[in-house]
Amino acid sequence: MDWILFGIFVVLMFSGVPLAVAMGLAGTAVVAASGLGMLSLPTNVYTGIAKYPLMAIPVFVIAGLIFERAGVAATIVRFASAVVGQRQGGLAMVAILVAMILGGISGSGPADSAAVGAVMLPSMVKAGYPKEFTAGVIAAAGSTDILIPPSIAFVVYSLLVPQASVPALFAAGMVPGILSGVTLMFVAWWLSTRHGFEQPTDEPRPPFWKSLKEAGWGLAAPVIILGGMRSGYFTPTEAAVVAVFYGFFVGMVVYRSLTWRNVYDVLVESAEIASVILTVVALASVFAWASNTLGTFDHLAKAMLGAGLPEIAMLVSIQVLLLIAGMFLDAISIYFIFLPLLIPIAIHFQWDLVWFGVVITMNMALGQFHPPLGVNLMVTCRMAGVSMESTIPWVLWMVAAMAGTMFLVTFVPELALWLPRQLGYL
Amino acid sequence: MAVSMGLLCLITMANVLVRYFTDISFAFTEEVSIFLMVVMTLVGASHAFVKGHHIAITYFVDRAPRLRHAARRLATVCSLAMFGLLAVLGTRMAWDDYRFEVTTPSLGVPQWWYSAWLPAIAALIVVRLLLQLRRDR
Repeated sequence: MDWILFGIFVVLMFSGVPLAVAMGLAGTAVVAASGLGMLSLPTNVYTGIAKYPLMAIPVFVIAGLIFERAGVAATIVRFASAVVGQRQGGLAMVAILVAMILGGISGSGPADSAAVGAVMLPSMVKAGYPKEFTAGVIAAAGSTDILIPPSIAFVVYSLLVPQASVPALFAAGMVPGILSGVTLMFVAWWLSTRHGFEQPTDEPRPPFWKSLKEAGWGLAAPVIILGGMRSGYFTPTEAAVVAVFYGFFVGMVVYRSLTWRNVYDVLVESAEIASVILTVVALASVFAWASNTLGTFDHLAKAMLGAGLPEIAMLVSIQVLLLIAGMFLDAISIYFIFLPLLIPIAIHFQWDLVWFGVVITMNMALGQFHPPLGVNLMVTCRMAGVSMESTIPWVLWMVAAMAGTMFLVTFVPELALWLPRQLGYL
Repeated sequence: MAVSMGLLCLITMANVLVRYFTDISFAFTEEVSIFLMVVMTLVGASHAFVKGHHIAITYFVDRAPRLRHAARRLATVCSLAMFGLLAVLGTRMAWDDYRFEVTTPSLGVPQWWYSAWLPAIAALIVVRLLLQLRRDR
């Protein structure tokens, strides 16, 4: 029976059937074959998404889009260039910094890459960066988004692993997220100076205080979201809603750049993005229910543990497995497919589940800009009009930097766990 | 879709404000917003089927041009099967809720008010997929 479940799923998935449908049909086949009661099917689909914590997903998507439309990114770019200044590699570092700040508002990598790309691509190409390099830098920077809170990936992880609370995961992602961003900035700077990108221009550096004042409205958003959750005023979902209304206020009243037409578009677009994610969640719950009832993943986990690998070898092989999966799939789908298998293993080795969540999410981040199929890289390459293959000489450096940070967090768990412990979430 | 998304935000925001200022939380709003989210997801899913936005691994299929057409047909047929089943079984679920007069936990309204939407929108998805199948021929 275990084989029916996996066989159908794998065959359908690789033949290009939407992932949600592949999971749903595999689950359905098992339910039908083992006579578990077909009515569990609609019940599971309905209850799979009718969960309050999941509401954070659509709302964080709106928050990200509304800040993008309000023109917050441009003010943050000015502020970041005031901080970084005119130097070789300056704009590349600005792009990464901006992606990190926007990552504190929205929670999805591809959306963030698109927002940063729209603002930074033209000016970087004008300053003499090759398009391939630019696409790679922005894709890599956007991937820090699922680590820097708020992150949709962490919301889903917490749903599947209730022992790890959303605030604890958010706090745990902070240091690794910033660390990866800083590492990427270093790599971007090093590559730029080595190849002499960005010739000095006589454009004046934006005045620091003025640009800070302008960007202040945008910079306050992450503070409101994270501060509100930390102080216990709102749940993650409510924090997201507050961010939406704040962004709405900034766009409508402060910058006056939003129109009702924009707001309508944002709502439609975010509903579309969120429903694609939630469809996976809904149909994956059929798969999850079937496999749980059969105990499929317990059997598999036992088999893997039975191989008698030492702890480190197991951890490394999990990371390699997820890295490969991450090239083809997004973080949320991967959680639904792999977590039921990995969590029993993590519990067996007594790994901290918050730390484990951060490590595998870093893995997902890496997969988001790793050729040939990183979603962020797809987005930025399309915007820059270059092929994904052509970015490889640049992107591999950034992949190496990110992988280095990931292994650092793997072997120094305190990097992830220090902040949540300080804040009292652990 | 935009309407349900907007309502969802408004309701949750109202909930935060009211709780912040008055210490009363009106938990029943959760029920309504969750229901709105389910409807939004299903309607959004039907759009995503038409536009081909659903997450799928097309990497291997794209490498084999001869298979591409067949693979697309397979994808549509599989999705049809899935949502067809959901429409049929969902109707039975909603019918059971109606027959046994199940009420919701916090608002106490008939459960079928909510559960009837699942088969209804699943049926809509089936229709849209059938149209797509005809167009692809």
